[in-house]
Amino acid sequence: MDTDLLSDTFIDLADTMVADFDVIEFLHLLTDRSVRLLAASAAGVVLADPRGELRVAAASSEEAGLVELFQLQNDQGPCLDCFRTGRPISAADLTGPDQRWPRFAQAATQAGFRTVEALPMRLRDQVIGALNLFRAELGPFETADLRIAQALADVATIGLLHERNVRRSETVAEQLQAALNSRVMIEQAKGKLAERYGIDMDRAFRMLREYARNTNQHLTDVARDFVTGGSAEFPPSAR
Amino acid sequence: MTGSRAAAVWGRVATHAAEHGRGVSVADVCAVAVSSAQLGGAWLVAARGADPDFVMCVTDLVSEQLAELQLTTGEGPCHDVLASAAPVLAADLEDAESIRRWPGFTPAARKLGAGAVFAFPLTVGAIRAGVLGLYRDSPGPLPGGQLGDLLILADAATVMLLSSAYGNGETDGQAWVDGQARDLALHRAEIDQATGMLTVQLGVPAAEAFARLRAYAYSQDRRLADVAGDIVARRLRLPRDQHPRGGP
Repeated sequence: MDTDLLSDTFIDLADTMVADFDVIEFLHLLTDRSVRLLAASAAGVVLADPRGELRVAAASSEEAGLVELFQLQNDQGPCLDCFRTGRPISAADLTGPDQRWPRFAQAATQAGFRTVEALPMRLRDQVIGALNLFRAELGPFETADLRIAQALADVATIGLLHERNVRRSETVAEQLQAALNSRVMIEQAKGKLAERYGIDMDRAFRMLREYARNTNQHLTDVARDFVTGGSAEFPPSAR
Repeated sequence: MTGSRAAAVWGRVATHAAEHGRGVSVADVCAVAVSSAQLGGAWLVAARGADPDFVMCVTDLVSEQLAELQLTTGEGPCHDVLASAAPVLAADLEDAESIRRWPGFTPAARKLGAGAVFAFPLTVGAIRAGVLGLYRDSPGPLPGGQLGDLLILADAATVMLLSSAYGNGETDGQAWVDGQARDLALHRAEIDQATGMLTVQLGVPAAEAFARLRAYAYSQDRRLADVAGDIVARRLRLPRDQHPRGGP
């Protein structure tokens, strides 16, 4: 465990949360740091849409294979079980026979992952999503790492809901839908960029994110302006 | 699990239209929303580009008055929805927050008989089609299951508005349910990415790109997610000159 990185991470997350911040950018910071801190190969935040499905809000890689792994879990997988039970779910070996989630295990190993851990994002008795950690190596995550992972999942919940004391259940639903719609805007912007410059989705996402950071704008605002703007040039020319 | 739930909700919309001997429309969505969530009424405000918003359908007189009240006072849950693109669920118009937030709208809405107002954005990412508003005479939250159904109904209304705006409003109810309800409900990232790509390929706004994507899948009798996947993988390009009305 890199304790310097751990303290930096909590400082960065706290800094973000005291300012006016973009939820999707915040969740991406969280997944990036989860990977680096917890010896994971990939991480993602999945949210429970009241329509009855799990949807990806942020992932440490925009690579399609990772996103598909999350989408697949609408049928079966540790993430779905974590969401249903509100408890952490581990799969320390996805390679052997007699898998609990055969289709998920097959897809995960094909994508290069042998271990997965799903940690609940809970607000009192409501599970709003899960932080998922994937690892290429065999064997479970260490207990100390999992405690930190759960702390990161709790921070994700607070950041997503903007405020610690959400008294109205309506506010949770409103914030979740706002985050999910932001994610859709970012996907649309990625597509427009990818087509204009002949680049892949991962690269398109990095361009959006860098530009938002450099110009001190919300990632969601950058994405919305780009999708609704008449020009396909990026970055937008200075006004 | 989702696809079947969305298909069931869309199926109720199609059935409602069939019972009234007509093709599906946003009026069926409003009616099904009211009956499935035991509400007093619903209204739908369309936002089309630079045109002013207009009330497209109402289920009753109170809904009509609530819709107009928000357009005239320039405040209220529906008004906020257009700014935030998130639902605004005012479960109790008697609470201090509602009065603080909408000092003009709240007392007038209560006078009209509304105890709770729920407003849902009709959006797909950056594409905005309008707002679905609902009221109930008594205050109280929406149970989780009703919230999910209303979100699915809002998706259905969004697609209908965008389809009719771009001239390919296929209104056969069963085609809706069989064709694309499931794909849209799954919210595949590829569908959104393909929409963004088509804005450049076709040189059209995002709302039209989304309509053209759906129209192409429909005309080719292919699943929307598969067509989107082909576009994202750059195996398929849609021709610029293809008019949305065209195709077999």
